[in-house]
Amino acid sequence: MKFRTLLGVAAILALTGVSAPAADKDAADIAVEAAKKYAGTTISIVWEAGLQSLDPLNYSGPKWEKLTGIKVKVVEVPTDQMFTKIMQDFKSGAGAYDALNVIPSWMPDLARAGALEPLDKYVDKFGYRDELQDIAAAYRDNQMQYDGKIFGFPDDGDVMLLYYRKDIFEDPKMKEGFKAKFGYELAPPKDWKQLDDIGQFITDKMAPKVYGAGFFRTAPYPQYMFQERFRMEGGKFFNADTMKSTVNSDVGLKVFKQMLAENKFMPPGVEQWNFVDNLAAFLQGTTAMTISWPPYGRWAAGYGSGEEALKWVPKSQVAGKVGYALTPLGRPELGVGFDLSVSATSKNKEAAYLFIQWLNSKKTSLERVQLPYTLRDPFRLSHYASEKYRALWPDAPAYLDTIKTSGEKGLLDLSLLQQDKYDEAMTKAISSLWAGEDPKTILDRMAQQFDAITEKVGIENQKAVYKVWAAKPGAYPQ
Amino acid sequence: MRLMKLPTRKGRVLVLRYIGAGVVTLLFLFPVYWLFMISFKTPDEIYHVPPLWMPGQIQFSNYYVLFKDGDVMAILNSLIVAGVSSAIAIILGTLCAYSLARFGTGGENLAMWIISQRMIPPIAVVFPIFLIYVYFGLVDGYFGLIVLYTAFNLPYVIWMMRGYIVDVPLELEESALVDGLNRWQVIWKVVFPMVRPGLMATSVFTFVFAWNDFLFALVLTRTEVITFPVMLTHYFGGQSNFWAKIAAMSVLGTLPIFVAVTVMQRYLVRGISLGAVKG
Amino acid sequence: MTFSLSFNGTEHRRPSRLGRVLEDRLPYLIVAPAILVLLLVGLFPLIYSLIVSFQRITMTDNDTSFAGLLNYAELFRDTRLWASLGHTAIITAIALPLELLIGFLMAQLFIDRMPGRQLFVALLVLPTVISPIVAGATWRLLFDVRFGPIGEILSFFAGEPIRILWTVNPAYVYPAIIICEVWQWSPFMFLLLLAALSNVDQSQLEAAEIDGASYLRVLRAIILPAIAPVIAVACLIRGLDLVRIFDIIWALTEGGPGSMTETISLYTYVQGFSQFETSYTAAISFLVIALLTLITTLVLKRMEIAR
Repeated sequence: MKFRTLLGVAAILALTGVSAPAADKDAADIAVEAAKKYAGTTISIVWEAGLQSLDPLNYSGPKWEKLTGIKVKVVEVPTDQMFTKIMQDFKSGAGAYDALNVIPSWMPDLARAGALEPLDKYVDKFGYRDELQDIAAAYRDNQMQYDGKIFGFPDDGDVMLLYYRKDIFEDPKMKEGFKAKFGYELAPPKDWKQLDDIGQFITDKMAPKVYGAGFFRTAPYPQYMFQERFRMEGGKFFNADTMKSTVNSDVGLKVFKQMLAENKFMPPGVEQWNFVDNLAAFLQGTTAMTISWPPYGRWAAGYGSGEEALKWVPKSQVAGKVGYALTPLGRPELGVGFDLSVSATSKNKEAAYLFIQWLNSKKTSLERVQLPYTLRDPFRLSHYASEKYRALWPDAPAYLDTIKTSGEKGLLDLSLLQQDKYDEAMTKAISSLWAGEDPKTILDRMAQQFDAITEKVGIENQKAVYKVWAAKPGAYPQ
Repeated sequence: MRLMKLPTRKGRVLVLRYIGAGVVTLLFLFPVYWLFMISFKTPDEIYHVPPLWMPGQIQFSNYYVLFKDGDVMAILNSLIVAGVSSAIAIILGTLCAYSLARFGTGGENLAMWIISQRMIPPIAVVFPIFLIYVYFGLVDGYFGLIVLYTAFNLPYVIWMMRGYIVDVPLELEESALVDGLNRWQVIWKVVFPMVRPGLMATSVFTFVFAWNDFLFALVLTRTEVITFPVMLTHYFGGQSNFWAKIAAMSVLGTLPIFVAVTVMQRYLVRGISLGAVKG
Repeated sequence: MTFSLSFNGTEHRRPSRLGRVLEDRLPYLIVAPAILVLLLVGLFPLIYSLIVSFQRITMTDNDTSFAGLLNYAELFRDTRLWASLGHTAIITAIALPLELLIGFLMAQLFIDRMPGRQLFVALLVLPTVISPIVAGATWRLLFDVRFGPIGEILSFFAGEPIRILWTVNPAYVYPAIIICEVWQWSPFMFLLLLAALSNVDQSQLEAAEIDGASYLRVLRAIILPAIAPVIAVACLIRGLDLVRIFDIIWALTEGGPGSMTETISLYTYVQGFSQFETSYTAAISFLVIALLTLITTLVLKRMEIAR
């Protein structure tokens, strides 16, 4: 019987042709039906190593195989090597990768090099345009296209949120003491001066049990926090006329000095913290504030705490006590993010495309952003509005609303030609900052490196790209 | 009351030397111990502050995960690549070494050129090799890595085997030739049995070199033939270091080497000193 | 050996023509395959890369027009390149003597017969055969400021909590690398020196003892001259390895903080495989080859002496 249904569907598909996808079928079903003819093949997909990969390893990969008979091979690559590995594969012509996770700020480079397959013809063939409109504007308008062509589907609602401990912030004794000392109410910080006040205050009162704040500090993540702060304090990456870098301006110096000074009220050893260290500290109640991507919020609420895959995450001691807010100054970085793309050298382009359409579709993605162990964050309007999601834990509605607002106000990552090199320079600079080198020296060197990169790319070329980027509403605060 | 016999000076020195030996061995083996222990710990135990010196119980779930997710394929890949390339290098290298040792083919210059190949830093050739491999589509395949490791190990095999063959008394071969054996038979029936121990030792080292290589594998593998050192680095990252996997994979990748080298103990010195020291 | 010639030797077969050719050309026939592989993988890429080093190929631009010596001129202006050579030199200059010294002391400890010596030697050699990537990863575990035991051990001896960010703090990052390196390779020195020491002429030593010569005198007059060739070989083998150090640093610090521990191998990798400066990397490769040819020549000269 199943086989007959299949035949029927195939017949209908064949009859209606590619131009008129059935309106009553959603993109996920279309992808599954179309993919069945590739049953028995294996496609590989590049995914960020570690937690992110649990999604295709534990959930979407096996499910796709069950639905279509296509096996999924997950290639785990550390974040800072993703660009390199994808580029290496493209250069080598090995075609080892079929589908890709691409970090949006690097998409222009990969697209220009020809490493990514333009997706428009597939989008039309498999009726995916409508569902793309459901993706939140911040991601859809900024992370999907290059040069007017679709090269990837935004698949992760990455944005920085401020998490704080409601129980500490609402403690009458703390409130009173804070107001007496600083003359304003203890509340989620509106700017960095306030964050410093609050952080130092809590550390003074409660350390070593609780510290005022803790951030991740090891490469490559803190550079996204730098990008946000630098711009919110009025910094510009380049002089738009000469393309000389201005990261070593007074603003840059101020931000660097502040970032370094903040370590003082954070737990000892914070310089070495990565994503999970920082998470563990917050979940264990050691830090009262942190800034990170949305998954922290879910795990802090204790969502998925019984999961086998999350066994290594320390149990949340702070469930129900966590508040969500915009980061200081109110324009959080849309840091990193992921697009799903198809490799131009793939030997199974259509099968790879169908897999990412299915992953990205309204139906599948809603399941995926609710996986307790995944790091994929809500990125569609329908995710934010999902009744099911909003009922997952008591504060889930506030959580989703904060993500939505943060996304709308978000600042875009710098994205130029050969962005990978600028990113490397920033990452190294911040790592030198923790090592105790003089901030001004580091910034001057970083500016020099920026200029050298720009010169190599070609000043006029880069200027044109920078102008387009800087004109986007999410590039610089108005 | 019986008088205790005082230990002699020699005896006291021996005791001191044992204590010294114990301390040194402890120092050098502690990291290895720690690695093994982490691989048996549960996540809670790994992330325990202060660190625990022993796991609560020996459990294998860190290994189980590697098997379940198929990560152990990396070990298998390493076995295949290192095994096959060693075998080829040994065959080609020993023949070449015989010619160098017995006929002086190419003179000292050829021998020197061959060993100088061994000294070339991998980083200087890995890039051009990558470009060439790209051109011929050899990236991410067994064949490419095997050819590379064969070439990488050949100078070593030739150099070592030349030394072992020179040690075989010439008279044995000459009398065999007089008895009417041809050269091939002499190599197979006279020389080979004589150098077999050296051959085994050289094979083991060849295997170890290929097994431990990281740089070439990092550059030339993608998804199909990822070897174990490359797999290991996948567990590091800005997001988190997956200590449990790192430790378990390290142990899996280290055990075969330990076994091989322990078996070859007697030839170790000559092997690692490129034949310069005959232990 | 249990083989006998009489089984094979009696029958005189006339070799066929092909057999005779095989026999006559044998010296060259059996050298050829190995040399071919070496040329194919060793020489051919170098020639190819020599051509590339004069072109202008970058990540996005497959520009094969010739740029003359542009890339080589660039080498001299590249401060990060020279810094990385400096880092390599520092690591080599510190680690090599340390390994030699520790290896020598260990060899002294084990030189006299003692029951169970073989077992100690077998155990001590293990670090040397471990994959350097595993060694780096292991020490990263050991150095970890919260979950690693080293801080704990230091605190115990200091009597107060000691927290060292080994891979962040510039004052400790080189010690961290060198500790790991020395841990892995001192046993190598130990093995070679133990073998060398066992070969020192015993009668000379005994004569010196009867004369009542001090240990230092014996060391200077008898032991060191006897083991000098082995020391030379060991240092040169290790020296070459240290100059190309890559794996341990990759696993331990990834060249950080900043580029503070970036060695020449790491830098070449970054240029070639993460920045895709194809032509420029080819030029760097030749700089490295030139530098190492210099050292290699020395090595070979010394090995000649040692033989």
